[in-house]
Amino acid sequence: MENTVIKIENLVKRYGDLIALDHFSLAIREGEIFGLLGPNGSGKTTTINCMLSLLAFDKGSIEIFGQKMTPVNYDIKKQIGIIMQDVAVFNELTVYENIDYFCGLYITDKAERKRCVMEAVEFTGLGEFLKFYPKKLSGGLLRRLNIACGIAHKPRLIILDEPTIAVDPQSRNKILEGIQKLNRMGATIVYTSHYMEEVEQICTRVAIMDKGKKIAEGTKDELKRMIKNTETITVEVLGLSEAIRNEIVQLPHVYRTEYDGERLIVFCSGGTHNLIRVLDVFRTHEIRVGRVYSELPTLNDVFLEITGKELRDRKGDSHVLS
Amino acid sequence: MQIFKAFFKVLKKSIPSSLIYIIIFLSISLVFAFSGQEDKTVFEQTELIFCIFDQDDSAESRSLVSYIGKQHELVDLEQDEDILLDALYYERVNCILLIKSGYAKQLAEGNTENLFERYAMHAGYADILTEQLLDQYVASVSAYLAEGCLLPEAVQKAETALSVQADVTYADFEEDTEYPTVIFFFFQYLPYILISVLFNTLCPVLLTMNRNDIRFRTDCSGIRPASYLLWNSAGSVLFIIGIWLLFMGVGIFLYGGLYAGKAWIAVLNSFVFTLVSASWAILFSCFSPGENTINLITQVIGLGMSFFCGIFVEQSLLGSGVLAVARFLPAYWYVRINNMLSGNEPFRSENVLVFLLIETAFAVAAGMLALLIGKFRYRRLSAE
Repeated sequence: MENTVIKIENLVKRYGDLIALDHFSLAIREGEIFGLLGPNGSGKTTTINCMLSLLAFDKGSIEIFGQKMTPVNYDIKKQIGIIMQDVAVFNELTVYENIDYFCGLYITDKAERKRCVMEAVEFTGLGEFLKFYPKKLSGGLLRRLNIACGIAHKPRLIILDEPTIAVDPQSRNKILEGIQKLNRMGATIVYTSHYMEEVEQICTRVAIMDKGKKIAEGTKDELKRMIKNTETITVEVLGLSEAIRNEIVQLPHVYRTEYDGERLIVFCSGGTHNLIRVLDVFRTHEIRVGRVYSELPTLNDVFLEITGKELRDRKGDSHVLS
Repeated sequence: MQIFKAFFKVLKKSIPSSLIYIIIFLSISLVFAFSGQEDKTVFEQTELIFCIFDQDDSAESRSLVSYIGKQHELVDLEQDEDILLDALYYERVNCILLIKSGYAKQLAEGNTENLFERYAMHAGYADILTEQLLDQYVASVSAYLAEGCLLPEAVQKAETALSVQADVTYADFEEDTEYPTVIFFFFQYLPYILISVLFNTLCPVLLTMNRNDIRFRTDCSGIRPASYLLWNSAGSVLFIIGIWLLFMGVGIFLYGGLYAGKAWIAVLNSFVFTLVSASWAILFSCFSPGENTINLITQVIGLGMSFFCGIFVEQSLLGSGVLAVARFLPAYWYVRINNMLSGNEPFRSENVLVFLLIETAFAVAAGMLALLIGKFRYRRLSAE
């Protein structure tokens, strides 16, 4: 578990005046599902492209499996599986032919390749669609085909670059379950996303990126401990007076409140029984309340507190990004 | 090998769009070949259908009717305007001739004006032939009258003189057995079909094989970019040569055996032009055109070059301005060689060589440009 699979040190990548990666360092250990979290343009894909030597960088070093990664280090490349956010398959080939083609770029032995292809087919549940052309597949099945093409050669390291974009929830869950299964089978996973729920669900360790920099790294709990907020209590209540709000702010562990005339949000830092204490205030003043709920901090809260901005746009669809 | 196999699997999907061009071209070639085998050595004089109304009813006019009847078919029709017009319209007769009253008298006096009234399809061949026939007849009779013959004798002599038929034989141009007409036309139209087939087939395949996401995924694997390029090139070369061999096979069928003599120059010329078409198709694919754009450009280049360079219209019929522009297109030089082989212009071996080199230069230039653009695009893709 302690072997370092990827070691990135002081990586700098510039596009003209724009700094895409600013002295970015990272170490990913064998057997991890490592989440690379950040908004669009934060440098996640640039990091991956540099890792795969598809992109030249200005400064720094990258080691994979203990070897320096270069464009011609084909021994390393053969041990990596890449699943991109765009489905990269041939529309002219069937499902089987596509997986066979991409597997064949790594495995030349025909018998072994056939076995690997069938295992990938079974893993992704594409058995019924082997003779289908990609255009006949649904979005979810296409994503599964994309994954099958990336994992058929049984790579030791699998890089998934936002593989669940525009995928329905059912297919997304299947994909996430598959990733966890691949990890249990021994593959180290690097997973980039701007969907914090996904990262929280499957990743053992997370690095948060913004503007080409790593702004935080650790396990989910470690990251959440880095921020002040430990609990957010929301109370639906009408006509709340300023005096009552002041009384709530004075409660132990409460450091801030927000009220929009209908909903009071109470931010707490540490402590226990915060919810009971808040409700006691309402009971004492005989104030009737609507729904009450308490939330633990999310990675989005971590991101919000560290960067001062939301990871995801809350205005539109939950999948719309900032 | 995996890339090579994928190339042909993708190619298989593009072939149907080109198949229509191949089938039409092969069909036209075969029709051309078999229609060219008709026996054209027998001469037959054109026979018209006449309806003659003899108002003069003299021995001379009857003699004329008899004379016409020996060479052409005579039919009787009711002298009704509608019936006559219908007969002309539906071509039941080619000409209605009215020998006017006083014909013999006028002829004897040497007055050849207004002897007849003639109705035929305006400016049609029947009208012209009839006019010629009557003019010859009247002129001959007048000539004998002028000689001092009496009218019956003049008529007799004129008919005898005119009945002498010229011995018609087809001039034997000695069809060039090394480069027969059917092969000339086959090679003449070949550039259009090569452009159409190679553009419509090769472009989509190369576009697919060089799609950014596919290249990205391939570059992540253990395959070297040079190896990828090599396998794709091997696939392209095999396909290009295959297409060329297919057409050369059809040529052999039309030729009736293996090419001989200067037909081999046409074979070489077509090979060089195949390379030109392929390199242009490869160059065009570097600009990532859409499916509709491929079809549009194929037509523009194929038809444009065919009309400008003398494939569809002989170069001798094209204006000097058009030919001046055509010099900047490879098909112009291809057609010049084909013209030399068919004898349409003097054959000079040194010119053939120069023209072949010019065509090759077009292929090399397009190939180099395609390589440069491909390399530039690949670098840009890597930098994105």
